[in-house]
Amino acid sequence: MSDKALHITDLVKRYPAGVEALRSVSLDIEPGEFFGLLGPNGAGKSTLIHCTTGLAQPTSGAIEVFGHDAIDNYGEARQAVGLAPQELNIDWFLTVEETLDYHAGYFGMPKRERRERTKELLETFSLTEKRDERTRNLSGGMKRRLILARALMHRPRLLILDEPTAGVDIELRLELWHYVQRINQEGTTILLTTHYLEEAEQLCSKIAFINDGEIVAQGSSRELSDRYGVPNLEDAYLALVGRKELSRSQAEVEVTP
Amino acid sequence: MSVAQIRFFTLWRREVSRFMKIKKQTLGAPLLETFLYISVFGAALGSRVGELHGIEYVVFVIPGLIMMTWSINAFSNNSSSILQQKFQGAIQDQLSSPASPMELLLAFSLGGFMRGLIVALLAFVAASLLVDLPIDHILVLIPGLFLVGFFFSQLGVLVGVRAEQFDDVSFVQTFVLQPLIFLGGVFYSAELLPQPFETLTHFNPIYYMINLVRYGFVGYTEVSIPLSLLALVAATGALFAVNLRLFSTGYKLRA
Repeated sequence: MSDKALHITDLVKRYPAGVEALRSVSLDIEPGEFFGLLGPNGAGKSTLIHCTTGLAQPTSGAIEVFGHDAIDNYGEARQAVGLAPQELNIDWFLTVEETLDYHAGYFGMPKRERRERTKELLETFSLTEKRDERTRNLSGGMKRRLILARALMHRPRLLILDEPTAGVDIELRLELWHYVQRINQEGTTILLTTHYLEEAEQLCSKIAFINDGEIVAQGSSRELSDRYGVPNLEDAYLALVGRKELSRSQAEVEVTP
Repeated sequence: MSVAQIRFFTLWRREVSRFMKIKKQTLGAPLLETFLYISVFGAALGSRVGELHGIEYVVFVIPGLIMMTWSINAFSNNSSSILQQKFQGAIQDQLSSPASPMELLLAFSLGGFMRGLIVALLAFVAASLLVDLPIDHILVLIPGLFLVGFFFSQLGVLVGVRAEQFDDVSFVQTFVLQPLIFLGGVFYSAELLPQPFETLTHFNPIYYMINLVRYGFVGYTEVSIPLSLLALVAATGALFAVNLRLFSTGYKLRA
């Protein structure tokens, strides 16, 4: 039994069509860590998250969340995880308040606690005025807020944010980062995937690069830059995906007389 | 309530709340349809047909209509609900929760079961106001109707899980279920059909369900009641086992 927040060992995910989305991935996230998982589209980030949360069936390997098996006897493991997925997967039939209430119910939270937690998160994410609105009528930004609030309803110890700021305005992005930094300081472990490298650099204490279904490097932002012999995380990422010629810092050096 | 009870009750409540939010469509429309059938076949045609096997025609027809109402509503509720949630991606919220395959399957199943039960109950009350509807064998009627409702709930879950587009659901309902129900003897007695249609009717599983329910109401049957009950229990159990397997393996639900 592992003492890690997330302990993944030799995880393989092969889809029926034969595509191998994850190739023997092993990864450890410490309790309380703010961990970034970066990689190009199709690298395997969402598949890894889906395997951890039960939305995909691993082909082989093991996943433990706070020492609990997340594949076969998944009850405790799933109870500890909150997922804010990339897609705006909200139930159109429900109101904003019902969305939060039902989610907490799926995780066995008693009625009074659900009511209090719903009120708290509606306020935190500026959704109180929209509480009786059907979710299908919400704007994209409001839906994103709701998805984040939903992920937090059952007080997960491990919060997984799969590209949470994709397509959101700067105000919500900053609001979100302030909030997740706060709950991280309070002890919640966070696994973040994002295409905004400066965000990952600022927020994450540890970062892993995933490419073609494999973890190719991990460490702090500084360690990754050093490993690739480049000045920053963005250049390390470009080195990973083989597009060094796009480096902005290199271009600045070249134009400086 | 325990954590598991809260979880299951919430999963089920979500299914019920879905059809209650669109009750004009999910409860009102099927009730009106049943009422129209009773009016047309009872008042308009019934007076000309007179009696079938010593039973007033409209009374002969109503048990089959109640069964039809329950079955179609149980089926369409579950197939639509699951497909809609797959389509929206909203089903991921339930699938990533600690709920077991059994809890998920039962909650989805009982949503459609409830809708069928409510519409059938309303149809029964409406029919009882129009005609004197007997209940001759309540000990056959209740388990018979409940089994029929649960069978079609399971069928709705199966089709909803397998479906990839709304056309897949409507195909089964329009081209498989409705013909089987209409040709299963809701509006007539198979014994009055010429050959080979009478024999062919015996290969229609719905025929046995209609006879079960009709026997429960008016005491008339053309098939063995114990055998029909047994077959229905076996078929419902088999369907439930297939669905449980689908939920356990995540077939078309998990990647």
